[in-house]
Amino acid sequence: MYAKIISATLKGIEGIPVRVETDLSAGLPAFLLTGLPSTSIREAGERIHRAIANSGYSFPEKKITVNLSPANQRKEGTQFDLPIALGILAADGKIPREMMRGCAFLGELSLNGRVGPIRGALPLAAGLRKKGVRRIWLPEGNAGEVSLLTDIEIHPVRSLAELAEELRSGVVSETVRTDAPAENGADGTIPDFGDVRGQETAKRAFEVAAAGNHPILLSGPPGSGKTMMVRCLPGILPPLTADEQLEVTMLYSVAGELRDGGGFVRSRPFREPHHTVPLTALIGGGVSPRPGEISLAHKGVLFLDEFPEYDRHVLEALREPLESKRIVLTRLTDTVAYPADFLLAAACNPCPCGFFGDPEIGCTCTSGEIRRYRSRLSGPIVDRIDLQINVSRVKYRDLAGREESAPRTSSEMRKTVLRAVEIQKSRYAGRKTKRNAQLTAREIKQFCRPTAEGEELLENAYSRLHLSARAYGKILKVARTVADIENVETIDARHIAEAIRYRTE
Amino acid sequence: MIGYRAGNPVRRGFRKDVTMQYTTLRPGDAAYPPMLAAIGDPPAPLYVTGEPSVLSAPCIAIVGTRKASPYGAWCAYELGKRAASYGITVVSGMASGIDTHAHRGALDGGGRTVAVLGSGLDVCYPESNRKLYETIPERGAILSELPLGQKPLKRTFPARNRIISGLSYGVVVVEAALKSGSLITADHAVRQGRDVLAVPGNLNQVFSYGCNKLIRDGAMILTSFDDILDLFDIERRDAVKEASMTVALNREETKIWRILRDEGELTVDALAMRAAMNPGDLAAVLTYMEIRGIVHTDFGRVFLSV
Repeated sequence: MYAKIISATLKGIEGIPVRVETDLSAGLPAFLLTGLPSTSIREAGERIHRAIANSGYSFPEKKITVNLSPANQRKEGTQFDLPIALGILAADGKIPREMMRGCAFLGELSLNGRVGPIRGALPLAAGLRKKGVRRIWLPEGNAGEVSLLTDIEIHPVRSLAELAEELRSGVVSETVRTDAPAENGADGTIPDFGDVRGQETAKRAFEVAAAGNHPILLSGPPGSGKTMMVRCLPGILPPLTADEQLEVTMLYSVAGELRDGGGFVRSRPFREPHHTVPLTALIGGGVSPRPGEISLAHKGVLFLDEFPEYDRHVLEALREPLESKRIVLTRLTDTVAYPADFLLAAACNPCPCGFFGDPEIGCTCTSGEIRRYRSRLSGPIVDRIDLQINVSRVKYRDLAGREESAPRTSSEMRKTVLRAVEIQKSRYAGRKTKRNAQLTAREIKQFCRPTAEGEELLENAYSRLHLSARAYGKILKVARTVADIENVETIDARHIAEAIRYRTE
Repeated sequence: MIGYRAGNPVRRGFRKDVTMQYTTLRPGDAAYPPMLAAIGDPPAPLYVTGEPSVLSAPCIAIVGTRKASPYGAWCAYELGKRAASYGITVVSGMASGIDTHAHRGALDGGGRTVAVLGSGLDVCYPESNRKLYETIPERGAILSELPLGQKPLKRTFPARNRIISGLSYGVVVVEAALKSGSLITADHAVRQGRDVLAVPGNLNQVFSYGCNKLIRDGAMILTSFDDILDLFDIERRDAVKEASMTVALNREETKIWRILRDEGELTVDALAMRAAMNPGDLAAVLTYMEIRGIVHTDFGRVFLSV
């Protein structure tokens, strides 16, 4: 007596269909599981045994063999509980097999037969859909995230007993309504740049960062508003497109980071890992790989506060994803790739105590401490940060009694950013490069050619301001963005002049 | 007798292959700096690498805090450059901060400079000044009274400071906290009968306290870079006229120049507010002005440098 049920497993953020084959044969009662199952699947036997018994069915006293096919693919996750249980019931003749043809099942069982949510429901369902499956039963708790998928019937499952009854009677539960991806609504938690006063220069730098996707590093004493401004950053980025929402939600689904109710991610992620973050938590990994912070910041902002405090090897690991926009994790059994296209924002103090260079509060560090602290701000990662700016504490007397022009708000800044992004989209159509920050050395020559006057200024600056050779390319890329913000194609001296300011030597 | 000795091979850091040429001077030697011989406890022996003859030329010491403010750094650099342009040798301690900028100013001004180390001649400290350490002997000299290989210690610096002041006609203190090595140098200078000049600073800034105290106690106040010339009986050039003649400013630059002249050092944001300019445009104008040496910016603050 044999039954075959379709389910799926994760490889990276890809769902791969898996056939769950169940065979009952005469012999001493036993439960055999083959096909490279992980530990969590091996434990399924006990759960399924009790779940079937507690759902009003008798567990067959036979030799049960379950094979997960393709047998050479490692399987991972608790979503196999439900298909295995159904396979046993079907092979035992308790539920009709016809109903299940062309359908897929995902779900974790508890001992009382209830079906609980699983990790990675969205990518699993998407993977099944890609292979032609048009009808999926999955836990009610995952219904929210999969509602992004169109052109597929999703049935929520509450318990094994209910599902078995549906399959027997042929009266199935209602499908999950598919939601249209919503506008990236500011969900009220993102602070507004309009509330930041007296930091218009830094805000301008953020505008440039958002427009060209340039990594940004802020240096300044405590209380200068660095953290506040970085938190405002997601509010001036363009809204997530439908495809981006799907991709980001998949990552969150795989990481098990979707909030209860399983809604999908509509707004740009903002991740702020603490400076003690271990390598695997930042870039992803583990025995069975999961996305790390850089992937959870995909299409959003990765904020590294107290930048010099991070372990050097942790920061070094950001190099590859900063360039390739994804991270490839190789494990003994598998290689998975997670997308990691984030906007890096970092903040640091000028010295360990924070007040070096502040005219009024004396710095209490020794020059050795300052040197050591600042030496941590060099190296390949900092070289890849296009915008480096100083922020000072805003003094009341600088604001008081001034005819202050209204501070720029996030919505004004976002308009500027959106226009600049559109320009880049059409300029780089069909290329791997999407934004100015990604320009390669060759592309810089092609797209960032300044006017003669700009060239001259750059040469002057090179000798007078002691610019390094590395700074050269960065300045041209940033100047490209400044010109895009102004909606002009030619990079002139003014754009170069502004770009030169966004560096600290 | 002149103590020219063939340079011994010396291990420098981990680079075993490098040998160092140096001269040992003792009081009484013809090449021993006369100014230094006149102090109460002249160093003997004195190890010198580079060009010992610069030690007999007129020298001025420029010293100050390791944690220089942007203004202090600029001031030390310009002082060094100005002194160099008059043929005065700049003496300092090659520490980070003010010392570094004074040395650099002298070198960039085409002049000569002398670094007195608080470590053995073959020990570069701080390591971040490796480039200065390598350049100075070509255009001046590095000296130390400490044996080769001596690591810098807390106690080696105050003794070193007496050599800095001892070599010089006068000591200029650019920025110093109340308890600092710079004030020790000034103290030595007074005891050695040398002049002390101090750069005045704002009352609310930590690194002005030391300088302002020196002025209160009778040090000469530095009101322009050319004040150092009084120590050497050198005729002043008309520096003010020179500055305003060489620089032509456009309308926006004039506006910014006026604001900075009237208000002194400002943050970039405060400047933008006063000039009623948007940050992008202001950034561009500031770059132009900085390249031409009209303004100086660091740590997000701007001030005039002419």
